[in-house]
Amino acid sequence: MINNLLVEMKNIKKNFGRVQALRGVDFNVGKKEIVGLLGDNGAGKSTLIKILVGYEKADEGEIYFEGKKVSFNSPKEAREMGIETVYQDLALVNLLPIWRNFFLGREIVKGITLSIEEMKRITSEYLKEIGIWVRSPDETVFFLSGGERQAIAIARAMYFGAKLLILDEPTAALSVGETRKVLEHINNVREKGLSVIFISHNIYHVYEVADRLVILEKGIKVGDFKKEDVTPQEIMNIIAKAAGVILKEV
Amino acid sequence: MELKSIGFLKEVVKIFRIKEMGAIIGFIGIFILFSILSSEFISWENLLSTFTMAAELGLVAIGITMLMISGEFDLSVGSTFAVVPMVLALSINNGINPLLGFILGITLGAFIGYLNGIITLKTGIPSFITTLGSMMFFRGILLAITGGFPITLLEHIPFLKYFGGTCIGDLRYSGIWFILFSIIFAFILERTQFGNWTFATGGNLVASKALGINTDRVKLINFIICSLMAGFAGITTFSRFKIIDPTLGQGMELEAIASAVIGGTFLSGGYGSIIGTFLGAFMIGMIRSGLVLAGAPAYWYRAFIGVILVIAAIINIKIRKKIAG
Ligand SMILES: Nc1ncnc2c1ncn2[C@@H]1O[C@H](COP(=O)(O)OP(=O)(O)OP(=O)(O)O)[C@@H](O)[C@H]1O
Ligand SMILES: [Mg+2]
Repeated sequence: MINNLLVEMKNIKKNFGRVQALRGVDFNVGKKEIVGLLGDNGAGKSTLIKILVGYEKADEGEIYFEGKKVSFNSPKEAREMGIETVYQDLALVNLLPIWRNFFLGREIVKGITLSIEEMKRITSEYLKEIGIWVRSPDETVFFLSGGERQAIAIARAMYFGAKLLILDEPTAALSVGETRKVLEHINNVREKGLSVIFISHNIYHVYEVADRLVILEKGIKVGDFKKEDVTPQEIMNIIAKAAGVILKEV
Repeated sequence: MELKSIGFLKEVVKIFRIKEMGAIIGFIGIFILFSILSSEFISWENLLSTFTMAAELGLVAIGITMLMISGEFDLSVGSTFAVVPMVLALSINNGINPLLGFILGITLGAFIGYLNGIITLKTGIPSFITTLGSMMFFRGILLAITGGFPITLLEHIPFLKYFGGTCIGDLRYSGIWFILFSIIFAFILERTQFGNWTFATGGNLVASKALGINTDRVKLINFIICSLMAGFAGITTFSRFKIIDPTLGQGMELEAIASAVIGGTFLSGGYGSIIGTFLGAFMIGMIRSGLVLAGAPAYWYRAFIGVILVIAAIINIKIRKKIAG
């Protein structure tokens, strides 16, 4: 059983001053599994994954990755182990060209010089593979659409051989068409054998791609379902109930 | 035929999208303006002495450009520009080996940068304030040590020639250093990992951290580079005049920042160019000597720089809105 889990987080607690962001959360991700993480604003979703990747330290709790106990001190360490995160606010630098973003922090160097042509070539290749077309890898990220930016971050994760891809609200500011594409990218990623944690407010987006759905509310896990066992309406009810809103039966 | 002209158009667009385009146009404009206003302006003699003056400012501006791109500021460069050669001058006057004096001075420069950086990064105070503090502190130290009087070099020191002496005709070594350091830092900025991280740190601090870049280290190194360059520039000026005036370098920080901004570097960080700064500093030098040759009272110089600076900043904002690739 344990062997099938890529990530296992146990009894994670985290306070920010008086805010109890996480109050003892258990959270697992299986190999090649897409887990949707749902919950209202401030539920603790982002905090949970920030702890997983070492951006924040948990006050209590244990984390296992590929069966081994881990405690990442920085996202860099998590990245080296194959955990790639696409943050809510995207880890891209708008003023820099695509290729510099693609390799940021893991540049290809020969001696002390950047291997610029090689990095541009690989960037173009991977963007093509994930199915987005940009004029040139020299294009500044600033000019790209929200969906294209997501795709760059996802392509980057694939190139660097991630085992786990974390997407924090990848469809938040996207048009319907672009959202479609990003959901396709996520399905693509699964076929490549990666696991995915997909955070979103849109239950239908999560439901469409996820194998399992986990619901957080005020720092507590209030639901954990296989997709087959639950309908979007039921999930909505759980979230609303936990938030103290009573939905009228339709 | 069609394809060929499209290819040509693309090339033209590419040229206009290079980062330094604004600085190049400004440079040519000012060059033409003063060539018309004064016939002496385009003499070799004038251009070389203009370049020398530009070089001393430019060395400071190179360091400040690196630091600004990484998202921080240094207002203390003018004081560093004075205290580093002061250490050299005092060492020599007290019979210490000049080379050792040079090393002591440069070490102090590095220390000032380290101090600025550590205080800024550990406390979270804006570097604008930290370095305003160290600007006043080190100016105060200088005044306290000199008692407000100039320090004159008591001895002829041959090796100072290689910092501020003339090398070919009116061209001074400071000009050579300026070209050399411009090439080195342009290379570091555009072609090395550290340069890439400098851009990223200033462009999006949170993202850079998330991608595992040690942004504090990047900034700290740039603080040190900035102070080292300011100190080195101070030594070139000192080597030319052989005297440390207590007001040496005052107001330099603003001219250095102006050089960077005129050269296309953003005050907000994340974007800029050493070549641009090179042209920016040269432009400020041209304005200074050009106005004198055109017979304008010296006071006009500051006013002119002020206008150019604001125009450059406006252009930068426009560029920011439609970033060139
Ligand atoms: N660095 C921090 N300092 C203080 N409080 C924080 C910090 N990060 C998160 N919090 C608080 O912790 C709680 C959980 O925040 P978190 O960002 O994890 O929520 P979320 O589920 O991702 O919400 P959203 O859907 O709005 O992104 C919130 O109350 C938030 O204000
Ligand atoms: Mg969040």
